[in-house]
Amino acid sequence: MRNDMQGFTKTLKIALAGNPNAGKTTLFNALTGAHHKVGNYPGVTVEKREGSVRRGGREYRFVDLPGIYSLTAYSIDEVVARDFILDEAPDLIVDVLDSTNLERNLFLCLQFQELGIPVVGALNMSDEAQAKGIDIDEKALGAVLGLPMAKTVGPKGGGIDRLLDLIDEAAGAGDGADKTIRYGSEVEDRLEPLERLIASDARFASRFPPRWLAVKLLEKDAKAYERLADHPKAAEIGRLAKSSIDWLEKHYAKDAEIVISEQRYGYIHGAVKESVRIVKKPNFSLTESIDKVIMNRFLALPIFVAVLWGVFKLTFALGEYPMAWFESFFGWVSELALAAIPEGFLRSLLVDGIIGGVGGVFSFVPLIVILFFLLSILEDVGYMSRAAFATDKVLHAFGLHGQSVFPMMLGFGCSVPAIMAARTLKSRRDRIVTILVIPFMSCGAKLPVHVLFAAAFFPKRASEMVMLIYAIGVALSLVSAWALRKTALRGDPTPFVMELPPYRAPTLRGVLWHVWEKTWHYVKKAGTVILASAILIWAITSFPVSEPSEAELESLAAAFSAEHPEAAPEELEAYLETAAAEYSLERSAAGSIGKFIEPAFRPLGFDWKIGVASVTGFAAKEVVVSTLGILYRVGTEESEESESLREALQRDSGFTPLIAFVFMLFTLVIPPCFAALATIRSELGWKWLGFAFAFMLGLGWILGFAVFQIGSVLAAS
Amino acid sequence: MFVSDAPAGASFKVKRVLLDKEVGKRLADMGFTEGAEGAVVRGGFLRGPFQVRIRGYDILIRRSEAAGIEVEPVGDWSAARDARGRGRGFRHGHGRGCGCSE
Repeated sequence: MRNDMQGFTKTLKIALAGNPNAGKTTLFNALTGAHHKVGNYPGVTVEKREGSVRRGGREYRFVDLPGIYSLTAYSIDEVVARDFILDEAPDLIVDVLDSTNLERNLFLCLQFQELGIPVVGALNMSDEAQAKGIDIDEKALGAVLGLPMAKTVGPKGGGIDRLLDLIDEAAGAGDGADKTIRYGSEVEDRLEPLERLIASDARFASRFPPRWLAVKLLEKDAKAYERLADHPKAAEIGRLAKSSIDWLEKHYAKDAEIVISEQRYGYIHGAVKESVRIVKKPNFSLTESIDKVIMNRFLALPIFVAVLWGVFKLTFALGEYPMAWFESFFGWVSELALAAIPEGFLRSLLVDGIIGGVGGVFSFVPLIVILFFLLSILEDVGYMSRAAFATDKVLHAFGLHGQSVFPMMLGFGCSVPAIMAARTLKSRRDRIVTILVIPFMSCGAKLPVHVLFAAAFFPKRASEMVMLIYAIGVALSLVSAWALRKTALRGDPTPFVMELPPYRAPTLRGVLWHVWEKTWHYVKKAGTVILASAILIWAITSFPVSEPSEAELESLAAAFSAEHPEAAPEELEAYLETAAAEYSLERSAAGSIGKFIEPAFRPLGFDWKIGVASVTGFAAKEVVVSTLGILYRVGTEESEESESLREALQRDSGFTPLIAFVFMLFTLVIPPCFAALATIRSELGWKWLGFAFAFMLGLGWILGFAVFQIGSVLAAS
Repeated sequence: MFVSDAPAGASFKVKRVLLDKEVGKRLADMGFTEGAEGAVVRGGFLRGPFQVRIRGYDILIRRSEAAGIEVEPVGDWSAARDARGRGRGFRHGHGRGCGCSE
């Protein structure tokens, strides 16, 4: 089927595949340099990376397949990988193998060979294997298994040339189908008639390798049966497969799919025995001695909490400076715009809407970059599976999964990349639950709101209050996960089967790549959704236009002067400016919305101002603070550090510490910003977005209501 | 005997996986096949996940999965228990899916 392509083409399409933790991404980077294209596989949210390299007039186009252990139909990643190979027919598969863990890595390799496409093995991490005393004779191993193999060292780019040589050779040779594994006569006797029957339709056999399909049928692979439906003799094949399975299960007294796995491992074990020598005993010592502490049954969880705490402290300590630079940069840009553009709507749109909105969001980029940098180091070192070990018991009790822990930690930075990181969860139900509770992990943009109110109403215990809000967020995420698993997402718990890789020194390049990817998701959102919502929020706060009349201004000025007899003319002017801003805001669409929804907020102790602030918070949560700045007439550019806004809030008789706390809680729980909502939609679809929105709004209101009402009763007594 | 019965440090040889479709197949694909040798490295706090070494690498599985992998002890398990845990080691359950507390 692919003969016309072989040997002569200038461009080779190569699928880069392999187990997770086999160093696939590092090898991909070493092969393709910096030229990447990141996208998605059609119809699914599995990331697809493409890159290419030229050598001697030939272009090698690599597609990075998701890291997988097998080719069953049980996980999206596995289905994506095999569909890519079957439907897009690459010229070649390069299987990246972890040399320190050959047997399990070769298990996948055998399945690739059956797909009827030439396979080249990259014995990656060969330096590590050598250090461990694992001596691999790649020629002998390749000869037994029937595929060419080269030793590679991903991070150093070792063996890349040799690998490309082998790719050239293999692309010119046959597909190697004759060299695939034999499953022993009992299985082969069942496979042979199945293969023959499948091959009887030439058109079908050209699309799906008969032997591969026959094996998959014996493995009871649901997707293979789906594909079979196109075959004219589908019914007959199905019956034959059924009787073959029955025979095998009777003969071996175990499930047919297990028999296939066992035959594969038996075959691998034999091949490895012939070509791999262990020159010294496997040495787990460094990883082992670290794990003695990190994974100690009593210490694992406290250490995890300490690590999380440390990551936070460091993020905020380091993030302070670049955040200030960003803020002054955007301040400078607005100054420029103010000077360059005459007063009017264009200027207002640009300065207040776009620069103010997007700039506010961008000033969180440093914080997020630092948080992601630290978390990526932990991920690349191999700590995340230890964290899963430490937390699985707790998370599982609430219906989450040990693997939910990494996305949830990212949620403290920004929900957008956190929601995307939940893709690592294999079961859809786990993924949905994790995504739905991520917004409760209080993100970086909610922090200014918490800090402002904590400082204004709990000055002696401000940092404890902020911590309390974070803790409530974590508790809420657990409880709501539990509730969701009991109701909307009921079902069997997914198995927890997770590789525990040895600790590996992270490479700067790998870490930076991760940081870049995650930050890029955020920046892209800031450039699109956040820009759009900033404009929308600007529009509803600016229109319809209404300005105070001269007489009203004069009476305001008179009142101000009476109250502050010594005030300088500039102070008066600033006061009038803010008063005018408030006047316009109150009569704008946003103000009307705030007043319209005020009755709904009343039972929570909120007035219309809080309603407006919450509505504008959908653009980005920290906008709540600047909106309050306008509403409290303290200035149009307030931050959470601002003394005057703090004092203004304290002076407002409508605000008590109780209401402040309820508002912090409310901000924590209600639906996240538009960017995060858009991410939920793109990951889970409209239905779940609607559910998430209603769930969070409902929960936020109920909690706010309960705390306010109970708090008021307690305060009165 | 099942993996969940093994104390930390105990070695075993897999007899068979007694779990349903997906998990059973996944464990087999990860290397838990008849005759494969392995060892329990440690178990988590409060009956948390197990760290199991199989085919030269380490894997984490929950107790419910460990209770579905039938094994044959290699060496003296009680010696492993004495050396590692001395009583505060694993609570070894009674085979599969036993939610009973001891």
